[in-house]
Amino acid sequence: MARLAALVVLAVVVLAFPTAAPNAYILSAGIVVLSYACTATAWNFMGGFTGYVSLGHAAFFGLGAYGTGLLIRDLGLPSFVAWLAAGAIVLLVTIPVGIAALRVRGASFVIVSISFVLILLLVFQAWGTFTGGSDGLVVPRPFPDMLRPEHHRTFFYLFAALLAVMLVAWWAIDRSRFGTGLKAVREDEDKAQALGVPTRNYKLVAYVVSATFTGLAGGMYALWFGDLDPIFQFSIMLGAYMVLMALLGGVRHLFGPLLGAVIVGTGLEYFKLEFGDTQFHLVATALLLGVVVLFMPDGIIPAAQALVKRFGPQDSSIREMTAAELLERNRAAAPATTEGDPTAEPTTAVGQEGRHAEGETTTEGPGEGEGPRRGGPGGSSRGTSERMEDAAPRPRTGPEEDR
Amino acid sequence: MTTTMHQTTRNLETVGLTKSFGGVHAVRDATVTFQHGKINALIGPNGSGKTTFFNCVTGMIKPDSGTVTFRGEDITRRAPHKIARAGIGRSFQLCRVFPRMTVLENMLVAVRRTKVRELLAGARNPEEIDKARALLVRVGIDHLENVEARNLSYGQQKLLELAGVLMGDPDTIMLDEPAGGVNPALIGRIGTLVQELNAEGRTFLVVEHNMDMVMSLSHHVIVFDRGRPIAEGTPAVVQSDPRVLEAYLGV
Repeated sequence: MARLAALVVLAVVVLAFPTAAPNAYILSAGIVVLSYACTATAWNFMGGFTGYVSLGHAAFFGLGAYGTGLLIRDLGLPSFVAWLAAGAIVLLVTIPVGIAALRVRGASFVIVSISFVLILLLVFQAWGTFTGGSDGLVVPRPFPDMLRPEHHRTFFYLFAALLAVMLVAWWAIDRSRFGTGLKAVREDEDKAQALGVPTRNYKLVAYVVSATFTGLAGGMYALWFGDLDPIFQFSIMLGAYMVLMALLGGVRHLFGPLLGAVIVGTGLEYFKLEFGDTQFHLVATALLLGVVVLFMPDGIIPAAQALVKRFGPQDSSIREMTAAELLERNRAAAPATTEGDPTAEPTTAVGQEGRHAEGETTTEGPGEGEGPRRGGPGGSSRGTSERMEDAAPRPRTGPEEDR
Repeated sequence: MTTTMHQTTRNLETVGLTKSFGGVHAVRDATVTFQHGKINALIGPNGSGKTTFFNCVTGMIKPDSGTVTFRGEDITRRAPHKIARAGIGRSFQLCRVFPRMTVLENMLVAVRRTKVRELLAGARNPEEIDKARALLVRVGIDHLENVEARNLSYGQQKLLELAGVLMGDPDTIMLDEPAGGVNPALIGRIGTLVQELNAEGRTFLVVEHNMDMVMSLSHHVIVFDRGRPIAEGTPAVVQSDPRVLEAYLGV
């Protein structure tokens, strides 16, 4: 319920922003922040689910942007057809790149991802006849008749819509079987594979989805901004911003990258506005990255959740149990074996039905004190002694304590 | 599981399996046949190549030469997930779970689907959750299903790992030191579980240093030394073999 309310508030804020923005500059800054939110969320399809940190996602941003611009310029495609086609091109390019890059893990993957963006940077700079090189590429505007504020407002909503699509897709994967497999890769890739998860294909799909969305964000940026330069589109900084934003907000959370983008994006705009002549925004970014890594390695959202949980009952009960439980297990080891005897015969399936049902409705609580005759679905007594030991230290299970 | 009932007694076999790391021959020319439907134990001193052998069989490491067959089918050099889906489940020497996922989510990782539509469907399928819960009840940690795995004790993590392996309905289960770092009461419980699962028709292959457990549990013992089997037989036979006494039991 609270989630729904938060979602509604978020949607209202986003939709009302263009009307509430006092001037065109604030609105364009809002678009920049939204485009950061798009790229960070797109990055999070890979980084958040699989834990593979790509510092080179700007490659896909640049490919999407240049793809859109070149398709309009050279093939005369309608703007948004070119945009979708550029997304499809990024998708196709990512498959071989992903197969190659995903052969390595960890730090090696980071290096490979950086090398890809550097290669593209050099190619797009050097191949001036095709890409415009360092002179840049002018992308024709999709809405030539619009005045500047109206143009900004339209693109603000377009970016918001793209972001919404990404968030829905991320949410859908998060709750799916596929997403469970991806998260298993993040937690322990070998273990996931040993359990039958085809990790390479899963990673590749996540990588392609992530890159395609990044490419679409890049294409949208090209249509809005209208002027591309390899140094900005294929920039390591852009890739680093995506990582920073996602880490800052929390990579394992749907809205983590969005939150991070709002904070970092706003900060960047502010520092560029106030200290535009210096490179102070880079210093500020570096400091922020340091603070995140040192104090909130999981990001703001998990840190805030942990803070809230500290005042609630649940977390403490888990901790209490694990600590007390080790002691309790050693103490209960001897009684557990003698007590296990009456249920030791494999045929004691009696009472199992009731207990089983109990276990499904309440995972812990009063049902625990039900008595010694509980077996698993196989109808025997395994699990009994361990259950006793685990249950014993919990305050609510009085009867167990006496054993 | 049931699809293999018509198959005779062939389970897991290796022929001439070899793996070297640099100049170290971790496994050399290991030809081993495991007995179907039995509890097979693999023992040997530290560094005798048991875990490398395990990893070669389950595809985590590609062997230099030799073949691995499972139920008569060549599975050498297949990807680990394919070997897992062929019906071999394994645990790891240092117990491995997915730390920042809940116990129930840990279980659901082992659900195997191939159709895109099924993969994109919600992970919380009632049938699968029921199956996971039944297995958690069986190993005795069902009351912890919503706890993140990293908050479990080591013993509970071992039980969770075993339950996760069972979630994939493996025909053959390879356990790498199931009793390592676990208190005596829990060792007894794991032993009982292994026996019960074996009685239900699952083949076991256990690497273990706890001799009491090995000798009481297993039907067939294979002794490794310097990367190859040096003796095999029933626990009684192996225990009295002079080569084994010299290499391992240290009498």
